[in-house]
Amino acid sequence: MQLPPALEEKFTQLLGRYPVKRSALIPMMMYAQDQFGFLSDEVLEEIAKRVGLNMLQVTETEAYYSMLRRKPAGRYNIQVCTNVSCMLRGGNELYKHVQKRLGIGNKEVSPSGTFSLEEVECIGACTGAPAMQVNYDFFEELDPDKVDSIFEQLQDGKKPKPVSVISGALHPRNPAEVPVISKRFGIPNSTNIDVYLQNEGYQALEKALKQMTPEQIIDEMKKSNLRGRGGAGFPTGMKWSFVPKDTSKPKYILANGDESEPGTSKDRPLMEMDPHQLIEGILIAGRAIGAEQGYIYIRGEYHYIIDIVERAIGEAYARGYLGKNILGTGFNFELSAHTGAGSYECGEESALMESLEGKRGYPRIKPPFPATVGLYGCPTVINNVETLSTAPAIIRQGGDWYAALGTPKNGGTRLYSISGHINKPGIYELPMGFNLKRMIEDVAGGMKDGKKLKAVIPGGSSCPLLSADEIDVAMDYDSVAKIGSMLGSGGLIIINEETCMVDLARRIMHFYAHESCGWCIPCREGTAWLRKLLDRFHDGGGRAEDIPLIDELSKNMLGRTFCPLGDAAALPTISIVKKWRHEFEDHLRGKCSFKPAEMIVGAS
Amino acid sequence: MAEVKQITFTINDEKLTTPAGTLVIEAAKGKGIEVPSFCYYPGLSLQAACRMCLVEVEKTPKLQTACTLVAVEGMVVKTDTPQVHKARKDMIEFLLSNHPLDCPVCDKGGECELQDMTFRYGLDHSRFNEEKLHYPEEKWSPLVYYDAPRCILCFRCVRVCDEGMDVKALGIGSRGVNSVILPNKPGELACEECGMCIDICPVGALTSGTYRYQTRPWEMKYVPDPCTHCSNGCKTTLGVRNNEILRANNRDHSGVNGEFLCAKGRFGFDFTHNPERVRQPLIRRDGKLEPASWEDALEEIARRLKQVHEKHGGNSIGVIGSNHTTNEENYLLNRFARATLGTNNIDHHRTADYAGLAAILGPKAKDAQATMADVYKANAVLLIGNDVTNQNPLVAWQIRTGVRHHQTRLYAINGQPSKIHRQAAHGVETAKGGEAAAVRWLATGEGQFEQSVSESLGQMKSALEKESDVAILFGADIQGGAIRDLVAFGSRLGGQTRYMALGDYSNSRGAADMGILPDRLPGYASLADKTERERFGKLWGGEIAATPGLTARGMMEAAVAEKLKAMYVVGANPVKTFEVAQPDRLAGLELLVVHDMFLTETAQRADVVLPAASSYEKDGTLTNTAGELQMTHRSIDPQGPRSDFDLLRILSHQLGMLGLGTPIRLRTPEAAFDEIRQNVSGYDVSVASLLAGGAQLTSAACKSPEPNYQAAAGAVFSSHDNLFSSGTLGRYCSRLASTKEAKDTPWSSSPSTQSWWYR
Repeated sequence: MQLPPALEEKFTQLLGRYPVKRSALIPMMMYAQDQFGFLSDEVLEEIAKRVGLNMLQVTETEAYYSMLRRKPAGRYNIQVCTNVSCMLRGGNELYKHVQKRLGIGNKEVSPSGTFSLEEVECIGACTGAPAMQVNYDFFEELDPDKVDSIFEQLQDGKKPKPVSVISGALHPRNPAEVPVISKRFGIPNSTNIDVYLQNEGYQALEKALKQMTPEQIIDEMKKSNLRGRGGAGFPTGMKWSFVPKDTSKPKYILANGDESEPGTSKDRPLMEMDPHQLIEGILIAGRAIGAEQGYIYIRGEYHYIIDIVERAIGEAYARGYLGKNILGTGFNFELSAHTGAGSYECGEESALMESLEGKRGYPRIKPPFPATVGLYGCPTVINNVETLSTAPAIIRQGGDWYAALGTPKNGGTRLYSISGHINKPGIYELPMGFNLKRMIEDVAGGMKDGKKLKAVIPGGSSCPLLSADEIDVAMDYDSVAKIGSMLGSGGLIIINEETCMVDLARRIMHFYAHESCGWCIPCREGTAWLRKLLDRFHDGGGRAEDIPLIDELSKNMLGRTFCPLGDAAALPTISIVKKWRHEFEDHLRGKCSFKPAEMIVGAS
Repeated sequence: MAEVKQITFTINDEKLTTPAGTLVIEAAKGKGIEVPSFCYYPGLSLQAACRMCLVEVEKTPKLQTACTLVAVEGMVVKTDTPQVHKARKDMIEFLLSNHPLDCPVCDKGGECELQDMTFRYGLDHSRFNEEKLHYPEEKWSPLVYYDAPRCILCFRCVRVCDEGMDVKALGIGSRGVNSVILPNKPGELACEECGMCIDICPVGALTSGTYRYQTRPWEMKYVPDPCTHCSNGCKTTLGVRNNEILRANNRDHSGVNGEFLCAKGRFGFDFTHNPERVRQPLIRRDGKLEPASWEDALEEIARRLKQVHEKHGGNSIGVIGSNHTTNEENYLLNRFARATLGTNNIDHHRTADYAGLAAILGPKAKDAQATMADVYKANAVLLIGNDVTNQNPLVAWQIRTGVRHHQTRLYAINGQPSKIHRQAAHGVETAKGGEAAAVRWLATGEGQFEQSVSESLGQMKSALEKESDVAILFGADIQGGAIRDLVAFGSRLGGQTRYMALGDYSNSRGAADMGILPDRLPGYASLADKTERERFGKLWGGEIAATPGLTARGMMEAAVAEKLKAMYVVGANPVKTFEVAQPDRLAGLELLVVHDMFLTETAQRADVVLPAASSYEKDGTLTNTAGELQMTHRSIDPQGPRSDFDLLRILSHQLGMLGLGTPIRLRTPEAAFDEIRQNVSGYDVSVASLLAGGAQLTSAACKSPEPNYQAAAGAVFSSHDNLFSSGTLGRYCSRLASTKEAKDTPWSSSPSTQSWWYR
């Protein structure tokens, strides 16, 4: 099959990036889809041939990822997010408006072929909610009028202006903020290597390469008390120290930029405004464990960010910060960005590696852990983008300095994306241990429209919810755990008194059922069952015995699933049933106190 | 092997010592403690997906999957606690939420693992009040159907197809609760049609095209028989109802094949009810074969045989035996030819040079045979010629499993491509038919090859010389002198070298062992050996001549040249096998008798055809290509046809009355087997084990090595059957023939499936 030259070049480039050809499969499918609009048999066969797979292997991989499609979409594929953060700010109404305006439903294409519509899960625009994507462009802080104007422009053949960076990232700093990793946000051309170099860029790398041994780097990381910012909070220095020193195998650094936890949009600004900081962090990690190859796995929806990161990687190569003999120290490191294709599960570290190897994103059996058996069966350090972005500051200013910014065992600062019913949704960098109440009332400007607070999701929708009377808590891993929740991903969702908690539970379950990979029984069947049950319940078809059943089914998943996705679905549900049981009981009396029952369908 | 460390841990308050590295689920099984599971399957990769095997481990807060949990010293495991019981109950509840409760009509009902687990561990009521998922059933091939709603997504089928079969025809589509199993073409399978996926399926998601909706499993009786097709001797359990075989599988894993069966073993039983089956004796009258009574047919044969014998002597008669009748039948046939008819013109289609291996190894042969288990266990396998994937599927399975489980090194020398080469650590592709020359080079350094071939042969040789305990397998390409070279090379290797000649049919080895050869008596006793001639002569009530007779090919040539006057053919189709030119000239024979199930090219030219029972319809023993002996049983009444054993026995009485030979007094195959055990070299095996359903290794060996042994030119050759063909018999297996692959063996030729070769 004859490919357009640009795609041909892209394919060649992709195939050269990985030790195993199959790794190029998912990016090849994504770029081919961008070119042709969808993946025809012919295109897949061509890709199969090039990566040396059979059609089954290609189609089963394709079938896993929600962004990949086998049928044409419209010229403009409208993807409206209705996940929690967007829902709280009118995402459902917006989605209905778009349906009406375009005259098509979920996954349908307008007769002219101009538009297609998809209701999508969290796209990482939580602080700009409600949001949608037109193809890969983000449009945020929408309302029906703004949407109409976007469609009018599209119909007129004009290109409406998408957001340049995520809404809520650039704002006057609150005095409580401690900018460490976000300090270059807002500097003009901050993605440019020269600008980065003028702002302390690559100084930490120079120090790490010229003045420190790998052991010293790891010690410094340990001293910093930096804990993984993806959500689990595992001490980073310790993770790096687990990588075996004496091995003949290559080692890898993976940056997890698959940010998909509903309510979380803090890796996005780090990558779109400061990609060199991430690259530098990866290089430091590479030096520390003796890796010479890294990949930045970025969720497919963040397509424009992949371009930004690839541009930055190109600059770093050109200036000798990547490639052979970096800074004349004999240190070699190769790095590339890798696109996902629509799968929350691929944010789980072992599923991410499977995905990077060109397979369905199923998690792996642990042990062994990635530090010994990771990507391609080799020792691998996989860290969240934010975690790696923190390494340069720690190396430059010292682990002790960083640790002192936070609380004991919870070093430094972290980025929060605060969304929902709040006056100033946005991205804020605050020291670890910062008081949640203050975060809501002071930093994020208090409750929107003066409504009363009902609940807080403290770190992405997989965390047990906190009720309004639980928010006087220090936001660090241990304090939040003590009150029965988790610090999680830094995605705070603020929920006001007018929100139906049954509806919220239902929406959360829709997400996890949609994203369950299907590998293990309890998560696969449990999330699907609960989704149907909660739909029925919220729709007025609930029975008294359903309330304990929701609770029990969630508990039957909890702790028994293959990976934490089952827990992620169970925990918020259990907390909602426990803390807002009366709202479920209200529904039994035939009504939702907050709004007419409505189904959000099509997310499956 | 290095000593494996033993560890002690506790399971349900009992101390247990196991080798380090043992999985808790296996250790528990050894102690008689069931830890239920769906996705765990011994020998396949671990998944921990079904979560049925969750157990409590002291000092671990969460329940752990016993299928991935390695027992370590001092570990305390509990499988019988309220928490564990609840977890199992909950998993079953989740599983049943979308599982259709169509057990009353499901093929699997009664032998379904989900049903059993629900019975044992499940809830007594359902709390699922939502709509179940539904998808229509799919027909993937005439032999394999998929019912997605029943599928519990344990992925056993995907793994057995990939890891076990190296076919990779199954994958997973969609995700989450909508996940389904996908065949490798849209809605269709292109594969080896082995049906392993059907057997391994714990529920009724994958069903067999031949068995579905036929019966309930408890309505069948089960008869374990060695497969009647290739030479590997897989045990296939025949499910029989109302005198019809409805199913063949090996779910109890009891044979030399473990769980393995190929398409022929699993689906190739329907010839028994093929409408073309000959069910009545036929006598040629006025040039046409016409139905006759048994009395008339046997009388006709006896009378005319006696006439020929009187007129032209024993040497005017040729006898061709079978490579799929039982040992007892071939033994009787040998007696019939040599003692009754007084001819050494007896042979069969030899598909491997078993006699050559026995002659060259001599008495050493007793300890130098590779069993099917040895092929799996060996440190290294040297495979010369033969497309084992097609011709010896169990051997191929054993090689693959060894490679997968303990990194067996496969060394392959072949003049043709074969799928098994994907497993090879070293592969040498010789010129077509150049295998023997390569072996000669290995043994003697003599011979000229293309540079690339000689380089890779050289590398292979030095790698092999570092191996110990090598199993050497070879097909018909290696015979006579080439075996001598091979043994010369093999005897220089470290440890114990074992050999296996790879033949084609279910009793190819047995036919040779029973002496269906012009120059050998049973047990490869040489005709030149007077003691042996006298021993068998005395036993059989006749005098055995010392001069070797004609080969099968020689007989056919002599018959058309009108040098033979009568031929007696049992379970063979020499007209086709030897591609006899001008076969109609066989009409020149005064008598051609054929025992067969069908009117083969040979039977069509016969004067008398006796309808014969298949090996699924009679008792006896069969010897697989490795020399492993198994009992076969009468699973159904053939309704008309009779066993060759009975036919020969009756005929001997008939001839006895005419004064030719002595009647056979052995009334049953068991009695004949007793005589074989007492008189045939290497066949004195334990009957107890055979009766228990096991296989016993025979070891027919020559008294002394015969290094100059040569097989007659053109006497040993393979039919190159594939997974869907089985000599003449295969033509009557309509289910095998119904697959697309039967028409186009895909892994060897079709470019559309070349990608199967991907690893």
